[in-house]
Amino acid sequence: MILEVEGLEAGYGAATVLHNIDLSMAEGEGVVVLGPNGHGKTTLLRAISAVTKPTSGTLRFAGEDVTGWRPDQIATAGLVHIPQGDALFPEMTVEDNLLMGAFVKPAWMSRQHRLERVYELLPTLKDRRRQLANSLSGGERRMLAIGRGLMAEAKLLMIDEPSLGLAPLLIEQIYDQIRAIKKSGLAILLADENADHVEGLADRVILLETGLFVREGPAETLLADEALLAAYLG
Amino acid sequence: MSELLQAVWGGILSGSVYGLMAIGLTLIWGAVRLLNLAHGALYVVGAYAAWTAINLVGFSLVVAIPVAVVAAGALGFLLHTVVIRPMLGRPGWDSASIIATVGVAIALQAATLLVFGPRVKQIPAVVSGSAVVASVRISYQGLVIVAVAVIALAALYFYLRSSRQGMAIRAVSQHMDAAALMGVPVERTYALVMVISAGLAGLAGVLLSSLLFLSPTSGFTPMIIALLVTIFGGLGSVKGTIVAAYLIGLLESSVQVYLGGALALPVLFLFIIVVLIVRPNGLFGVAEAQRL
Repeated sequence: MILEVEGLEAGYGAATVLHNIDLSMAEGEGVVVLGPNGHGKTTLLRAISAVTKPTSGTLRFAGEDVTGWRPDQIATAGLVHIPQGDALFPEMTVEDNLLMGAFVKPAWMSRQHRLERVYELLPTLKDRRRQLANSLSGGERRMLAIGRGLMAEAKLLMIDEPSLGLAPLLIEQIYDQIRAIKKSGLAILLADENADHVEGLADRVILLETGLFVREGPAETLLADEALLAAYLG
Repeated sequence: MSELLQAVWGGILSGSVYGLMAIGLTLIWGAVRLLNLAHGALYVVGAYAAWTAINLVGFSLVVAIPVAVVAAGALGFLLHTVVIRPMLGRPGWDSASIIATVGVAIALQAATLLVFGPRVKQIPAVVSGSAVVASVRISYQGLVIVAVAVIALAALYFYLRSSRQGMAIRAVSQHMDAAALMGVPVERTYALVMVISAGLAGLAGVLLSSLLFLSPTSGFTPMIIALLVTIFGGLGSVKGTIVAAYLIGLLESSVQVYLGGALALPVLFLFIIVVLIVRPNGLFGVAEAQRL
């Protein structure tokens, strides 16, 4: 198992958002968490990467107990989180943003090679490499956030709503990239608001509602059940 | 004409030292969001460390300069570990941290007074003598100061621009959570910034004390001017701070040459008040200054 979450609870202040979440992921597995806005998808990813400190529960990653670790320690272990809203470094160039993605020592040693690979995958970024991140369009920002995540030596990639606020054509492109990453053998945990684009990327689908896992199953079965999806996601 | 050249040289000289002082304040503000009012005390500690190395140990100034940097840097690390780190993320950080640094400044000042006494001291020059260039008298020591300061500022600039740790400092300044997600240890980066900033204050201390006299309180004026520089340059902006340091140095030395030394500080303050009215975020500042 690459990731084992047990009894995870998290929230903000007095409000508990996630209730008693259990989640295991195998290496190379693609898991998609679906749920309407405000039901805890972002909090789930933030709690796993420790940006939001969980109030209880245990976390094992790549065979190690990482409960209570700081976000930078978890990232160093190879759990890469591409957050919602991109969280770029606004006054740094596109290339510097990407290089920061390779901050962890082993990745830093091969940063030029990684840079070339990301530029190959996302050629727009190469054209923009000298531009400041705050001068990019919404789609380019998303690309940069994903590219920066790919610079790391990841064992598991968590992506929060890759399509948020993007034009349909761009959405297709970005999911194609993620599918390619998944095919290369990397485990992916993706949070999304709808099931439109996750085919071929999800091995397993989980429905999250009011901070609880309400349904869980193989992607083929769950994604085929349109009535179920409509009931939960509208 | 010769007065103008005199003013320009004076501006380059003091601008270089103000740059060293101000860049530290800016770095700490950018990364830690801390206004470090103990910065002047670090300047004094660096200068006294060099004085001790020269007069009690018998080092030359060339060796004493690194001693000053290391002593101030070590104190910066202590300041971070003992005072700043326990306060991080606590409610009331903004005001509590400023008051804490004022407390540290007063304590350090009192300690230097106890150890070294109230009599002023001076740090000898690396090279004595001077040359007259285009009717301006330029001391060799002044040239050494400018050269050391410019080298230090350039080194810092490239360190921030392209080294792994330097980029991490910029990343923490611009988006702390994202930096942590990249694996950057945020608190350790704070400590690093404090050490660099303190070391530069110590360097400014030893350099300027070879021109001015040194006493336990002599860090105050350089710190106040460095504060003016950081505000003028736009808090948090490295480039803005360096440009502002030379402009402020030039303004100060012009006032000294044309109107007399007593008016220098009042004119600087008047100038910064006007700047704050016309450009509230400084020369290169953005509304929420998040640039390094």
